[in-house]
Amino acid sequence: MKSFKKYSILSYFFIFFSCSESLDFNQLDDYVSKPIFTAALTYFKVVPAKFFDSSGTIQRNSVTEITNFDVLQNQFIKDNLVKFDLNAQIKNEFDRDATINIQFLNANNVAVYTFSPIFIESKNTNFIYLEEIVITANPTILSTTKIKITAELENTGIQMDVNDPSEFEFKSSVTFYLESSLK
Amino acid sequence: MKKILLVAVVFTTSLFSQNKQVLYDFADLPQTLLLNPGLENSYKFHVGVPLISGISTQFGSTGVVLNDLFAIDNQNINNKVSTVLQSLTTKDFVQMNTQIEILNVGYRLNEKTYLSGGFYQEIDAIGYYPKDLVILFSEGNDAYLNKSFSASQINYKLDVLGVLHAGITRKVNEKLTVGGRFKIYSAALNIESTNNSGTFTTVLGADNIYRHYLSNVKMIERSAGLIDGNKEFITKPETYLKNTFLKGDLGVGFDIGITYHIDKQLQFSASILDFGFINHSKNIKNYKEEGNFVFDGFEFQFDEDSNVDYWQQINNRFKKQLPTTENEDSYVSWRPAKINMALKYSFGEKRSEVCYDNSYQDFYTDAIGAQLFTVFRPLNPQLALTAFYQKSFTKKLHGKVTYTIDEFSAYNFGLGLSAQLGKVNFYGMFDNLLAYRNLASANSLSLQLGLNILFN
Repeated sequence: MKSFKKYSILSYFFIFFSCSESLDFNQLDDYVSKPIFTAALTYFKVVPAKFFDSSGTIQRNSVTEITNFDVLQNQFIKDNLVKFDLNAQIKNEFDRDATINIQFLNANNVAVYTFSPIFIESKNTNFIYLEEIVITANPTILSTTKIKITAELENTGIQMDVNDPSEFEFKSSVTFYLESSLK
Repeated sequence: MKKILLVAVVFTTSLFSQNKQVLYDFADLPQTLLLNPGLENSYKFHVGVPLISGISTQFGSTGVVLNDLFAIDNQNINNKVSTVLQSLTTKDFVQMNTQIEILNVGYRLNEKTYLSGGFYQEIDAIGYYPKDLVILFSEGNDAYLNKSFSASQINYKLDVLGVLHAGITRKVNEKLTVGGRFKIYSAALNIESTNNSGTFTTVLGADNIYRHYLSNVKMIERSAGLIDGNKEFITKPETYLKNTFLKGDLGVGFDIGITYHIDKQLQFSASILDFGFINHSKNIKNYKEEGNFVFDGFEFQFDEDSNVDYWQQINNRFKKQLPTTENEDSYVSWRPAKINMALKYSFGEKRSEVCYDNSYQDFYTDAIGAQLFTVFRPLNPQLALTAFYQKSFTKKLHGKVTYTIDEFSAYNFGLGLSAQLGKVNFYGMFDNLLAYRNLASANSLSLQLGLNILFN
């Protein structure tokens, strides 16, 4: 019977008197996840013929393209995006300078952010561009639903050769900086 | 004897574990029949006290303990989380198993045959650490060019079920006792995703700055009992509880076991538990993603004559090449089968105990031995090797100490006690005793408690 009491007490000891170091679960309130995502954006490679009409006789000095872009409509990104970078790598083999204009548009086709014009000199084959956008300074950018890109050629007064094989190449990517907490 | 023990130890030294090693073959407790239906007992009949005859719970986590993250140490929580996430491997996991016996009864049919049966409820869960997925979502892909984030690391399984069981223990001869148990499972909830494949990789591109690959993706997420016909989550606990009483998805399984006396003092026992499956057919919601997808960005055409929606084009191609499909197809999930093996050498004072028929049975007061436990989990079997010593202080008071090496700890000491006052038996088993010094630093905890009414 003494043994029974002894082992019963031991059992109670383990159940009720186990120890635990003090823990602070509220520390998680201070946790901030800061992932950085990089993604390919738009790209194109054009030759002078792209700047001519279908007959190949009349040169245009600019071409424009628009696409839908709904990434910034994702609620998680809307809530947690603090900054994003637009990166571009451009090759201009043409015999004239070129300018790329990029605009972010809202659903009504109104520009909510206009990037500084990207000016690429003729024959510059390794142009690097980076623009950082801080969201708190440009909150309207979060209403972006479209991207508009215009490629504009310098008007030299001399028409390009429609059969010239030289290329104008544009590559781009975006880098999203997110910060989210568990609160 | 020494040679046999040595062989057993050498054979199993490289193994690891998690189990009910203290309870196994201890003090003729009725609950040991749930670990091996072929274990001997000397009862005329037994009745477990409803709801409290058998309560067992186990929790384990490899690679991380509460203290690593939540200690009050003035360290930045972001640094602590980052350190923990980096140190964990894809073989680390968290698991939990809880069983509560609703009913446990047994009756001796004749000299050689003991029948037992009952009903218990079980929650069993395991989730492996999907390291790549966690890194991708916590750090992003920017710093991980050319790294393939793998979906194969996503492995989890959760079962909530009731188990109705009936077993028979049959003494074949003086040396051999065999037993079997038939189980009907009633699953209230199953969530699982295993055997996934696929990678996500970002590399420097040719046409654009980056190229993204989703390669050889094949992922399946299954659930039964979680989402109802109106596509809403089932949130009422009573619905889950009700479904464990044979109203959920049904399945069948078997336990088999043997005890063999090599000689008067040396005994070998083994069992296979939960060799069975559940056919899930109610409130099913399965998702499957399969295919390949390569993304270079939007290639502008500057074509005056067309008005291409590049975003929609990419969306359509994604849905075609890597579609996510939903279905309500029934499916089968296998129970995590378990294997127990034990070699026990009895010694010490030889005593007699009164049996069910007022005859006397000899037993030794002391025993040592080794036990091996295996449970088949989604990624790989988990193994445990236990050395034990048990002692009968009196005919009614038994104790057992164990030392176990498993995936959670190499310093796992356990203690068990079974005491009988009149017809009332109380037992308690505690595993990983050293962890009770500081639960915050414990990788695993396990305990079993219960009350029985025994009629010898």
